[in-house]
Amino acid sequence: MLNIQDLKVSYDGALILAGVDLDLLRGDSLAIIGESGAGKTTLGLALMGLGEGRVSGRVLLDGKDLTTLDEVARRRIRGKEMAMVFQNVEDALNPIMTVSDQIKEAIDVHRERGDPGYVGDRVRRLFRAVGLDEAKGRSFPHQLSGGEKQRALIAMALANDPQVLILDEPTASLDAVTKAEITRLLRERMENKIALVITHDISTAARLTDKMAVLYAGRIVELGDTQDLLGSPRHPYTRGLIRSSPNMTTPKDLQGIPGRMIHGVSGCPFSDRCTQRIEICSEAVPPLVEAGGRLIACHRGGIVPLLELSRVVTRFGGLAAVDGVDLTLYEGETIALVGESGSGKTTLAKTVIGLFDLAEGEMRLEGEPLVRRDRDFYRKVQMIYQNPKESISHRMTVLDAVTEPLLIQKVGGAAERIEIAKRVLEEVELSTDEAFLKRYPHQISGGEAQRVAIARALVLNPKLLIADEPTSALDPSVQAKILKLLLDIQEKRGLAILFITHDIALARKVSDRLAVMLKGKIVEEGSAGGVTTAPIHPYTMRLLEVAPDLDPKGRGMSGPWAVPEGPTIRAREF
Amino acid sequence: MHVDVWHEVGERNVGRAGLLLIGLIVLLAIFAPVLTPYSPRENTSTQAFSRPSADHWLGTNDARQDIWTQLLYGARTSLSVGFGVALLSGFISVLVGGTAAIFGGLYDRFWMRIVDATIAIPDVVVIILVAAYLRPNVLLMILLLSALSWPGGARVIRAQTLTLKERMHVSAARTFGAGWSHLLFRHIVPDLAPVLVAIMIQDARRAVFMEAGLSFLGISDPSVMSWGKMMQYARVFTYLEVWKWWLLPTGLALSSTLIGLSFTGYALESALDPRLRDRDDHAEGGV
Repeated sequence: MLNIQDLKVSYDGALILAGVDLDLLRGDSLAIIGESGAGKTTLGLALMGLGEGRVSGRVLLDGKDLTTLDEVARRRIRGKEMAMVFQNVEDALNPIMTVSDQIKEAIDVHRERGDPGYVGDRVRRLFRAVGLDEAKGRSFPHQLSGGEKQRALIAMALANDPQVLILDEPTASLDAVTKAEITRLLRERMENKIALVITHDISTAARLTDKMAVLYAGRIVELGDTQDLLGSPRHPYTRGLIRSSPNMTTPKDLQGIPGRMIHGVSGCPFSDRCTQRIEICSEAVPPLVEAGGRLIACHRGGIVPLLELSRVVTRFGGLAAVDGVDLTLYEGETIALVGESGSGKTTLAKTVIGLFDLAEGEMRLEGEPLVRRDRDFYRKVQMIYQNPKESISHRMTVLDAVTEPLLIQKVGGAAERIEIAKRVLEEVELSTDEAFLKRYPHQISGGEAQRVAIARALVLNPKLLIADEPTSALDPSVQAKILKLLLDIQEKRGLAILFITHDIALARKVSDRLAVMLKGKIVEEGSAGGVTTAPIHPYTMRLLEVAPDLDPKGRGMSGPWAVPEGPTIRAREF
Repeated sequence: MHVDVWHEVGERNVGRAGLLLIGLIVLLAIFAPVLTPYSPRENTSTQAFSRPSADHWLGTNDARQDIWTQLLYGARTSLSVGFGVALLSGFISVLVGGTAAIFGGLYDRFWMRIVDATIAIPDVVVIILVAAYLRPNVLLMILLLSALSWPGGARVIRAQTLTLKERMHVSAARTFGAGWSHLLFRHIVPDLAPVLVAIMIQDARRAVFMEAGLSFLGISDPSVMSWGKMMQYARVFTYLEVWKWWLLPTGLALSSTLIGLSFTGYALESALDPRLRDRDDHAEGGV
């Protein structure tokens, strides 16, 4: 049993680990993920007693505090009770010793008297265990491939069958195939041990561990079951990490996390990069508390739900165009609403923004019920439309259009409004010279007009942007640029986007979650990857079948199809 | 589109003739003091019922007043009533028709019933009744005529606003939190301009006609010269030759004004959306 209590490490007064608490039992495997500089390796080294900085707090192995032991006693534990596989495969092996000699040495240092027969037998078994040819044991490290070296290092770490195994970036710098083999090997060897996997590679972590802790600037910000945590990250930093790591599960384009990590930020360590920060975030450090089967350190309890719709109904006459929709949109997230025309997507969007009246159900924005929409509401929620040129009055210049929301909201004086407008126009990559500002909608291109419309929606700095087919009137190349722009803005501002489209191929590229709408109901909802690769509802399958692909014999040629009777609402976990 | 409409009006002969007539009469009214040495009520030294001469281009009437002068000042009254009513009635039409369309619901139904009721009331009866009890003057006339003529325009404006408010840029402005006045005056009225001007011209024409008719019936400010009043006075002396330069020019002036307004309005309306040409025009009618 390994208990880590308030472990702090500082180098030259800089706090690299700012208080980590962990309790691990035999059989537990925990991934420590985070950006470089988060303190992951420092944690591993501190546990091993190899760290150079000042260490405080307690590390209890089976109740015995390791931090109070002297170097001799530590050495006895190191390699025997606790072993570590180091990050750099190239440097971790001694270049002038054969591999099997190095493994023998690892066994010998922890044995009272030499028994060459036992040691030789043990080495052979270790070679088998890590899948390394015994003949390779006589090689020097430079004669081995990266994967073989990694196997040798693992064999060394396993030499004395330690209780605690710490793996620091075990698969970094390995090619994908070798990585998969090493991962499988580790998974086997980690059984019945306390395993700590330190990595920035989320997919390796996902394969190796059952639990996962997200480390940021020396603090654990989120800790939970690996699958659960990756499927529905609750801390904004965790979501940022997942979004920025390429994988085959999320089809959305990669997005980074704005800003960079700084140690010693007052309050929540992530506060200066967080898009949902409130006042308290920069004042007090949030404690790691349990919430919904997970530990999370966030003053706001994790990513906040921005828009919550429950049983929303919109009627025209007696006909329900939106017929009981439940949907929750979180801060900084994109939900794509997909369906054929007439399925009620736009009606739902217009009901949210208040252009249509809500007949039944409830809508909440930031937890507050939406009863009437005043000016403040429109500061938080904005919309962009399908046809940019029509959405801008033909009597307004670019500058008039972009400053109009500010004028309506009575923001600042004329000079300040122009200042804000220019800044936002720059953000959407448009010119701010006088000649352009004086153009009318018919004098600019469709792509430019949509950028103007986006700038106009952004001047009020909204939290939620409803994009109603924002690119369907544009050329493919322009469409791609506009979508990229929207993703960049989302990354920078933490904007939540309700993205309405009939194109499921497009939707999967821009959204975190996908909701498929049919006849005013959401028939399937889930992660963009899940819905597009393993659809459940027949209508979703149909949409995927007719979705654009580049295969000439591809799908999309299938025969007529009838909407099944009584489609069921089916929400997926992730 | 807003540019083309005016251009087209200028291109058409009817429109050009209408604008020319109105322009001429407006000039005459504005420069009245320059065009005559007399004042309309001045009893000149010339004999009553004198024939047109160099001093008196249209001769004098029974009270030795200069008829040309009276005609010029009468134009002022007719035109100011016409313009006043056009502006006031047009404004009320926009306000009521526009807000009814924007707000909809009960508010819309309420105002549309008011419009129906107002249109159903015979205008002349109301005016005669009101004018008989109040001291008639130009301002009162403008208020009264406006009160009776806005409903027709309000209907048209409401119908137009209903289509305009579905335009995306109006929706967009709503989603910035814009109130009704911003929507109406920044987004809808600019697009309504040609229709609104057509309505205002109709209102003006009707007002000029009504004012003349009421003055003829004696319902007018006694201190103000007006074409209707001139015609009423002249009518008494039709057995004399004086009608040729008293009654006839007055009638012609009034007709020219009405024709000028009608032509302009007609040209404008046909230059507009063809749907407007089929419009059931409640602004028609009169005495």
